[in-house]
Amino acid sequence: MQDTLLKIQNISKQFPGVTALNDVSFEIKKNTVHCIVGENGAGKSTLIKILTGAETRTNGTIVYNGQDFNPRNTREAMNSGMSVLFQELNVVDQLTVEQNLSLGKEPRSFGFIRKDKASDAVFQVLQSLDPSIRLSDRVSTLSVAQKQVIEIAKAISSESDVIIMDEPTAAITEDEVNRLFTIINHIKKENVTVIYISHRLSEIFEIGDYVTVLRDGQMIGTESIEDLSYCRDEVESCAELIKMMLGKVVVEHYVPSTIDKTRKVLQLHNVSNAKLKDVSFDLYKGEILGFYGLIGSGKTETANAIYGIDKVEGEIFINGKKISIDKPESAIRAGIAMVPEERRTEGLFTKLSIKENIPLMNIKTISRNGIFSRKKERLLAKKYIEKVKIVARDEDQNVAKLSGGNQQKVVLSKCLNAESAVLLMDEPTRGIDVGAKEEIHNLIRELSQAGKSVIVFSSELPEILNLCDRIILLYEGRIKEIIENGGEIDSERIMHIVTGGGGQHNE
Amino acid sequence: MNKTAKGSYAGIDLQKLVILGILVFVALVFFSLNNRFLSQANILFILRQSSFVIMTGCAVTLLMISGNLDLSVGSTVALTGVVHAFLCQSGMATGLSFILATGVGVLVGLVNALTVVKLKITPFIATLGTMYVGRGLAYLITDGLIIRDGLPDNFTFVGREYFGPIPIPIIVLIIVILVFLVLEKKSILGKYSIAIGGNSTAATLSGINSGSVVMTLYIIAGAMAGLSGVMMASRLGVGDPNLGIGFEFDVIIAIILGGTSLAGGEGSILGMIIGGLIIGSLGNGLKLLNVFTFFQAVMKGIVLVLAVVLDQKLKSGISIRNKKRIKN
Amino acid sequence: MNPIAAKAQEKKYFSFDFQIIVLVGVLALVMIISAVLTDKFFTYPNIMNVLQQVAMIMLTGSAATLLMISGNFDLSVGMVLAFTGVMHAFMSKNGIPTNVSMILSILIGSGFGLINGYLVAFLKITPVIATLGTMYAARGLAYIIAWVDGGANVTTGLPIDFEVFGRSMVGSVPVFLIIVFIIIAFFYFVYAKTNLSKYAFAIGGNNRAAVLSGVKVSMVILLLYLFVGTLTGFAGMTLASRMGTGAPNVGADFHFDVIVAIVLGGTSIYGGEGSFLGMILGALIVGFVGNALNLLDVMFFYQIVVKGLILLGAVLLTRKIKDTIG
Repeated sequence: MQDTLLKIQNISKQFPGVTALNDVSFEIKKNTVHCIVGENGAGKSTLIKILTGAETRTNGTIVYNGQDFNPRNTREAMNSGMSVLFQELNVVDQLTVEQNLSLGKEPRSFGFIRKDKASDAVFQVLQSLDPSIRLSDRVSTLSVAQKQVIEIAKAISSESDVIIMDEPTAAITEDEVNRLFTIINHIKKENVTVIYISHRLSEIFEIGDYVTVLRDGQMIGTESIEDLSYCRDEVESCAELIKMMLGKVVVEHYVPSTIDKTRKVLQLHNVSNAKLKDVSFDLYKGEILGFYGLIGSGKTETANAIYGIDKVEGEIFINGKKISIDKPESAIRAGIAMVPEERRTEGLFTKLSIKENIPLMNIKTISRNGIFSRKKERLLAKKYIEKVKIVARDEDQNVAKLSGGNQQKVVLSKCLNAESAVLLMDEPTRGIDVGAKEEIHNLIRELSQAGKSVIVFSSELPEILNLCDRIILLYEGRIKEIIENGGEIDSERIMHIVTGGGGQHNE
Repeated sequence: MNKTAKGSYAGIDLQKLVILGILVFVALVFFSLNNRFLSQANILFILRQSSFVIMTGCAVTLLMISGNLDLSVGSTVALTGVVHAFLCQSGMATGLSFILATGVGVLVGLVNALTVVKLKITPFIATLGTMYVGRGLAYLITDGLIIRDGLPDNFTFVGREYFGPIPIPIIVLIIVILVFLVLEKKSILGKYSIAIGGNSTAATLSGINSGSVVMTLYIIAGAMAGLSGVMMASRLGVGDPNLGIGFEFDVIIAIILGGTSLAGGEGSILGMIIGGLIIGSLGNGLKLLNVFTFFQAVMKGIVLVLAVVLDQKLKSGISIRNKKRIKN
Repeated sequence: MNPIAAKAQEKKYFSFDFQIIVLVGVLALVMIISAVLTDKFFTYPNIMNVLQQVAMIMLTGSAATLLMISGNFDLSVGMVLAFTGVMHAFMSKNGIPTNVSMILSILIGSGFGLINGYLVAFLKITPVIATLGTMYAARGLAYIIAWVDGGANVTTGLPIDFEVFGRSMVGSVPVFLIIVFIIIAFFYFVYAKTNLSKYAFAIGGNNRAAVLSGVKVSMVILLLYLFVGTLTGFAGMTLASRMGTGAPNVGADFHFDVIVAIVLGGTSIYGGEGSFLGMILGALIVGFVGNALNLLDVMFFYQIVVKGLILLGAVLLTRKIKDTIG
């Protein structure tokens, strides 16, 4: 007997050029754990931002506890009873547990804290959640899981009826995950509803009561876990759910590249660090290699390892010679260029124009003896504008004003100008409209035809399947399987592997 | 995730032990070079000298914990001293003048508060501006000269007299220290400073009004600088617009030596006190050895850089610049 | 879209053209008002005098503009100015040929630049603290040398040719001024045409992207500080030669004047954008405002107050212009 706590009705969210959410409707019942799943870009985080007041919706209504709910900011949402546990923990490391729990609500007189004691109620909650946490502990000494517990305790003590958890198990150990689930079951009984966002399907089945699947901004289906219960078996598992998450995966654009299997341009042997475990693979000349996995699987970490951003153990070889790459500058000199994940903060110089951005990875192309030529700068920009089809008024336009797709093309031009043998692309078409996506994919194919070797790190399966000659599946920093493209591809099996199912990978 | 490699050994902060050790070391070195260093008279002298840095440092420590800074304290010291002398010279009662002059410090703090919080100008530029305006005003009031004549006899009362066996300035110093230690540990202001400096997003989400807190901190810093300036004038018996050059520097070194992180979020008034004593001892010891005052400037420059490097190393080598700021 | 912004989209750099126009206007206004208020203003000697003073600011500013564009700054320039002047006098007095002393003084400035650069770029100390430290070190050293010499300034016993560089004229134009302007022109070239400048803009605009694009960030910053130090050394040496004495108390507000000139000229303190020409105009404005106040017998110390207000005003003005355009 469960009442509806939250009714999400026809919610849509438009950004310029991109529809993040399209007519999403479903209900969340009281005292349940309602899971939301979907691939990256499905709209999960946008939905959460709308629920917590960090974004405003374009259309639709939310009915919360029978009343219209439209928070203008996160504080308002929290005051109405909607709490969030983000992946970036919002605790103050330098204060104690007790101080964090009472932060903002200290009983006080004349500006002095009467007792910096968490109220007894809160203390009880904390004890029941995790007795190993002492109030006097400094938060900086606690583990990620324990910090989460503090946030949960804080949320409960502020009488939230909804706690949203965004990928809570991304950074905690298996034991801690079990503890978390015990806690969640416990708080359910305390009249708290949990909205649980995750891509780990095994967890969904363990902790969830209901699940809503989002794909490309649309609500595909909402089911009760019980009805899907035959999925508990891992081997023939979750086909239904995965089908919903994936939809129809169209693989009609794949064109095999001309690969020179005798030349290994890049090799990784047993590369490991905190996030990666024994990553080993080869990259052939002219090949487009793909890395696929969901959040936290280690894609960006692998790219960073190759590019010299993170320190790793293990060996890296370029054209058979072992090299040590300690910073991006060395990587570029060794013939590796990278299109980073976040174009605005990592790839572009937003105060500069198109023509000023492009040469920066290889300024020799427009300069001699340290002096650059404006004419060459202009010609270079024009060359890439044409080649990569950048849509802009002219090469003098400031890149901040371009659309996402065109911005990405500028970053790509910058990397192409580096004339490297290997090109790394981290989420190359994220947040880009369909047309530009196509164009960039075609460009990648052209590059490989011309002999460049490309590694694409992506969380969009269609992109990977349409582009890559071989696909490396990652889960939790480990290579689970390497698949050759071109034949019959079982997308559902792929999804199964990257969400934790078994893979066949022997080193 | 912030990591602090600052160890705790039986609950006592490692950093504080280190600087306490440095203080003792410095004291011993100077003592061996000149016996007079540890004489009662000299120790008292060191305390008097350091008192201004420490008093102002109490307030600025909290400010830096919240992630802000104040370069104008030196010029405020000069300004309030000059105002005090000017008012007394013009016939106002010393007591009243004392209070009004300190009030000028509060005003400076208010200007800083508004410029940083309301106009959203970065603290470095904002307090650099007030520093110059303040210094200029001090010169303006005195026509560039030092106000010496025409001051009432009781002008130097607070600065030079005793209350029983203890000099009044030391009593004031102790009171200020006690007040601020309590503020640091037990008040909302102290706690919220840490929260704002440590994780401003979490602070805002918990309902803390960061703007008010920061403004209050700037006003208090101005007040303490003002108090220091007035006391300094009282001690010297003059209104001198050239005082306090380099003062903000001493305050910052004392605070950093004391373990306050430049990035905010942690710090210690007790540590700052030890740091202030180190600076005071260094200055005094070098003077006793007849080392010219300006060697001290060089020394201080080196000490500051070393202090910052030490600060960064103790914090487990995660470069302060690379610490991720959690954005709203 | 408001009409100003629409126009802005037509030309790149429009926000700076606009600022430049405003600055030229302000400068003209200042000069006209000064000429009206006192007939001592528009005389050749007076204008020359201002230019000579402002030349020092522009000299350091030539390198400091790019430094600020890269997101850093140097507070020690005033004290390095004093110290190199004192050293030049001291060395000349004690047997080193004046020419050699001139070069050594410049190198001392370079030394400070290297230290600053190393502290900021390699030890990753924040520029405020690093250059504050060198500032006090330089100040102290300046006074020490003067004390060693036996007086407040190093004035007596200087060789006859000490003042040659600072005071010789070509017609009615001081020689050093010509040289200074040649140097400034050279650094304008560096600002406008070299890769170093491009890197500075990149680093200041987006440090992370610069690193990821393979820019040698540390080397660039080191080099920029080196330039600032060297130019300041030159300025200090020139000033001492001009005054005929090595004085440790010059340059007290120099770093402030330099920052005001740069910020007034449209350079953002956060980096990533700036204007060399703006700095020149900014320096001129600050110089002429100060001069006018002097001529009008206004309290010298009002000027300091005014400068503080100009700094705040410059920051707000730059932001306002950006908001209108953007």
